[in-house]
Amino acid sequence: MLLHPLEGNTVKITRTSQVAMLALLGSLSLAACGSDNNTTTTTPAGTSSASSSGSTSAGDCLSGTLNAEGSSAQKNAIDEAIATYGEKCSGATINYNPTGSGAGIKQFIAGQVDFAGSDSALKTTEKDGKVEADDAAKTCGSPAWNIPMVVGPIAIAYNVKGVESLVLTPSVAAKIFSGAITTWNDPAIAVINPGTTLPASAIKVFFRSDESGTTENFTKYLKGAAAADWTADPAKKWTGKGEGKEKSAGVAEGVKSTDGGITYVEWSYARDNKLAVAKVDNGAGAVELSGDAVGKAVAAATQDGSGNDLRLKLDYATQAAGAYPILLVTYEIVCSKGSDATKQANIKSFLTHFSSAEVQAGLEEIGYAPLPSEVQAKVATAIAAIS
Amino acid sequence: MSALTQGTATPRGGPSTRRSVTDVVARVAMWSAFFLACVPLVWILGSTILKGGHMLLDSGWWTNSQNGITARRVGGGAAHAIQGTLIQAVVTAAISVPIGVLTAIYLVEYGRGPVARLVSFMVDILTGIPSIVAALFIYALWVTTFGFQRVPFAVTLALAMLMIPTIVRSTEEMLKLVPKDYREASYALGVPKWRTIVKVVLPTAFSGIVTGILLGLARVMGETAPLIILGPYAKSISHNLFDGLMGTLPTMINQDRAESLQPAVDRVWGAALTLILLIFLLNLAGRLVSRFSTVRA
Repeated sequence: MLLHPLEGNTVKITRTSQVAMLALLGSLSLAACGSDNNTTTTTPAGTSSASSSGSTSAGDCLSGTLNAEGSSAQKNAIDEAIATYGEKCSGATINYNPTGSGAGIKQFIAGQVDFAGSDSALKTTEKDGKVEADDAAKTCGSPAWNIPMVVGPIAIAYNVKGVESLVLTPSVAAKIFSGAITTWNDPAIAVINPGTTLPASAIKVFFRSDESGTTENFTKYLKGAAAADWTADPAKKWTGKGEGKEKSAGVAEGVKSTDGGITYVEWSYARDNKLAVAKVDNGAGAVELSGDAVGKAVAAATQDGSGNDLRLKLDYATQAAGAYPILLVTYEIVCSKGSDATKQANIKSFLTHFSSAEVQAGLEEIGYAPLPSEVQAKVATAIAAIS
Repeated sequence: MSALTQGTATPRGGPSTRRSVTDVVARVAMWSAFFLACVPLVWILGSTILKGGHMLLDSGWWTNSQNGITARRVGGGAAHAIQGTLIQAVVTAAISVPIGVLTAIYLVEYGRGPVARLVSFMVDILTGIPSIVAALFIYALWVTTFGFQRVPFAVTLALAMLMIPTIVRSTEEMLKLVPKDYREASYALGVPKWRTIVKVVLPTAFSGIVTGILLGLARVMGETAPLIILGPYAKSISHNLFDGLMGTLPTMINQDRAESLQPAVDRVWGAALTLILLIFLLNLAGRLVSRFSTVRA
């Protein structure tokens, strides 16, 4: 009596376990195939030359994997560099995770990544009982270098019906973003924009509600160029007025859909969303945002670090002719001397490619500014000195 | 049911108004609650299919990785992420199924006294652990204490932490459903306890256990917190659990979620739909197994 149901069960079991086995095998065999080869994809103009000519010979290609993490501001730039590097050196694997500058530095100090990307150089002063530069040097066993690699212009994007061109001075920008100026036809704006008919509509400021290196660098500019009108200390968290939106995509979308809106956002987002971008007048005439104009501001910066540690000190109030002063510089943070010779050679190879003239020139197309030639020369020297 | 109520109501001359009003109110409340619960589900499914469906129709989506593709370029696929998610799921199951099932057998068949109560209590605590805490625990152990690199295997450890308690609980319930008579009959025939468990109890509860495992697996496959902390995203195909990084569907979504460029946006929707599809298939497999072979007590 009892045997029958049991027997019935055992039959069923073998059947179900077979099904389970099949499912397992199926998923495993699916996992066995697949291709990393996406070379048929068309590359955007300007960067395609890297694959054919290639300033570095094939012998400089890296073998193996590099893992990096950090700033999300340089994500699109480094992705582009990785893609063009992959075209030149198939077989190289470079992973970049845009988790934010702070996270990148933490993982670099913890020895989890081969190099970090950060919108600010390693801090040499004590904060919370720790000095980033010293901790990084301890992990490396040698000083860690900050190598400027990607220059990201920050645009003041606006949306005012009928206003094609707008000039802002640091002082007026500070007043707009701190809420001291509330309408577009305010005399302070009208005076620096002769010949432009400004509407009486209200100014709607959009800011980044998340903590952002863009906010920090923009407020650094306001503080550096118009300290009288912007009193708050530069910070990753916005301290001015306005309406908060998440991420760059959020503020760009906010301005795009709001008449009278204004925000600060990475140039690439302003371009992708076709937003009007204000010209900035630091005192030497209005300057339109372009890769060249930003390069001039970077060239005007002084070097803060010693030797091949290329920390830059930007002069936000720069009066240099034709220089656009609102920008952020993303550094690649590397060990100057590493214990793993292949890894160091790989980092050198990739960064050489990243800083090369053709890759940098291609970056302008996607909203970054190329490194100016004098900085690029220093960067090349520093990369060559990595061992 | 209705025949029963009518049967009791008829002698009094039809259902009272109060009763029928209660009936209508309860029915309306129930149905509207049901539709309300369906709204987000249909909404999510609908928009994911509308926005990501076309990505899945391209054969390259299933065979190619994102290697050499940027947010600006179209092309590439999700093969690396699909494979990463499946491999990690299989390894997670390989770790958690033996531990989970054996723990459940101990609790149901052997466990008596304070030790069993302690184990049961610990399983309860484990069930309540948020995934981010499990991830941080493994990070503290694997990276901070041992000084290892973040590798896919560490992710599977964190996922196993989340999966073990669900397997223990579901297996426990299934084993308890096996009638005492089966065991006693087996003992009466002189079969030792361990053989009874292996040959009688487990086979009877098998389908229920498998269902529990599949549902547990479907749950951890969509987990994101351990992946973000322990398994950074990679765009190329990797099958190595102990070296390098492995892309997965949740991290693929996370990577490009803030992008405003169309190719990246399409990819995020595609990855989301693929993940939903994979988990749906696993759930379906779980239901099928339970439908076709339920424990008959």
